[in-house]
Amino acid sequence: MSDFARQQSDFQRGILSGDDKVLAEILDSPKEKREVLFGVYKYAYGSRLVEALRNDHKLLHSYVGDEMFDEIGQAYVAANPSQNPNLRWFSQGLPDFLKTASYGEYPILSDLAALEKALNDAFDAKDAPVVELADMAGFAPEAWNDLRFEAHPSSCRLDLSTNVAAVWLSLKEDEMPPDAVSLEQPARLLIWRQDVTPMFRELSAEEAMMWDEASGGIPFGVLCSMLATYDDPDGAAARGAGYLHGWITAGLLTGVSAEF
Amino acid sequence: MNIASKLPQPPASVDDREMISAKPPYLGFGLGLRAQHYDEILGGNPPIDWFEVISENYMLPGGQPLRVLDRIRERYPVVMHGVSLSIASTAPPNFEYLAGLKDLARRVEPKWISDHLCWTGVHGKNLHDLLPIPYTNEALDHVVSRVQLVQDYLGRAIVLENVSTYLQFNNSEMTEWEFLSELSRRSGCWLLFDVNNVYVSAFNHGYDPRTFLEGIPADRVVQFHLAGHSHMGTHIIDTHDHPVCNEVWDLYAAAIRRFGRVSTMIERDDNIPSLDELMLEVNQTREIAAQILPPIRREG
Repeated sequence: MSDFARQQSDFQRGILSGDDKVLAEILDSPKEKREVLFGVYKYAYGSRLVEALRNDHKLLHSYVGDEMFDEIGQAYVAANPSQNPNLRWFSQGLPDFLKTASYGEYPILSDLAALEKALNDAFDAKDAPVVELADMAGFAPEAWNDLRFEAHPSSCRLDLSTNVAAVWLSLKEDEMPPDAVSLEQPARLLIWRQDVTPMFRELSAEEAMMWDEASGGIPFGVLCSMLATYDDPDGAAARGAGYLHGWITAGLLTGVSAEF
Repeated sequence: MNIASKLPQPPASVDDREMISAKPPYLGFGLGLRAQHYDEILGGNPPIDWFEVISENYMLPGGQPLRVLDRIRERYPVVMHGVSLSIASTAPPNFEYLAGLKDLARRVEPKWISDHLCWTGVHGKNLHDLLPIPYTNEALDHVVSRVQLVQDYLGRAIVLENVSTYLQFNNSEMTEWEFLSELSRRSGCWLLFDVNNVYVSAFNHGYDPRTFLEGIPADRVVQFHLAGHSHMGTHIIDTHDHPVCNEVWDLYAAAIRRFGRVSTMIERDDNIPSLDELMLEVNQTREIAAQILPPIRREG
């Protein structure tokens, strides 16, 4: 290893772990000790990354307050040194991190972080043309059973175990959030971007099933048969068409085709 | 067969390479593009000559930021300014990052691409800071070779900025301005002279900022940055969250006298005020330059 490479290793280790061996190669300035000057870089590292987390998780920050957010942030920074040159992606692991250790007993924290992450990801997800209702008129009735759908690249499904949607909405409106509660059935959320605005809504178990299967390439005829097992079989096709209508008007589909 | 004999010779000199190496054009007086001002800029077409964008803010799959950038570049010249090139890192370059940078440049067609003379991490980690280097011959050889590689990859000469530093290494063999001058001469890169950073580093290390200014070759500087900072008494931290201070305005005037007509911009990264307030600073850059430089003659 060259001197230059060894020096960079030592410098980085000093910032990440507090090993101050590199101080031997740093000069005091005319007005300040080297420990203080190196400390500028050490302090900037943690504060910059915690600030990035705060920017990406404004509602989690509102929910837990400054002190606890900083504690979570510092713990996350220590456990997850950034590996991506773009700070945009640093917070991606926060929802999973909040499922671990002492935070795991408060699942609302992980759920809130997961919802914020999904909305952030929808905001700058890949662009794609959206299917319009008029596009559907081009398919003959006999072709509908074979129609397959492609979800917009911004779309994301989350099954979360708490009343996170209600907590999120209250925080967004700057109101006192309801007490966090664990749900008997998971909240099935669909997150996406409509034009430039990230959105989410809660789905019924039936619609969530249809969305998941439709996104996986199952054709409309089979989807209707699957819907028939959830509720009134005679109304399954109408319910399926209704869900489809909602997805198209919300800009959730980017492709529809009758090809196998 | 001797494979080695089939390999190309060592890298050609910068003049022999097929890439855009011409001096970037003069753009006038610009501003760093920030999301807080998107609506005002698109709605009002403010009289700003050009915008600098933070490359990483647009190295994204899609969505509103890229759409806004597409609309801005239809109306204004745009340059790309990165913070993650890590040109002085001894770790292997991040080619995925470089590919993303090149993709963005293909879309934006910037007048130039800049980043900083610094490193941001080694061993696969990124500290998201503009970290200092020792000014040694070993470091110079290393950075020259990295700049040449990046320029070959991007197909164009890049522009590198002097960073604010808070400490100096005891093994440095030359000054920062000597290092930058040699780097530019040997690699063909252009220089972004951050007036505030020169002021900050000069205060922190106890030298006259005009010595730095005099040590930089005038014909290599293609851009000025102006920004504010936070004074801690014994040292200054480059926070970019305050208006430009009088000392930096004075140094800007001295920089114009030395470097001549150079594309200039106000760079505010935090505590971002209204566009109107920043326009006052942009206008001040214009007025100071007008007092020093002869007017541009327009033929015909």
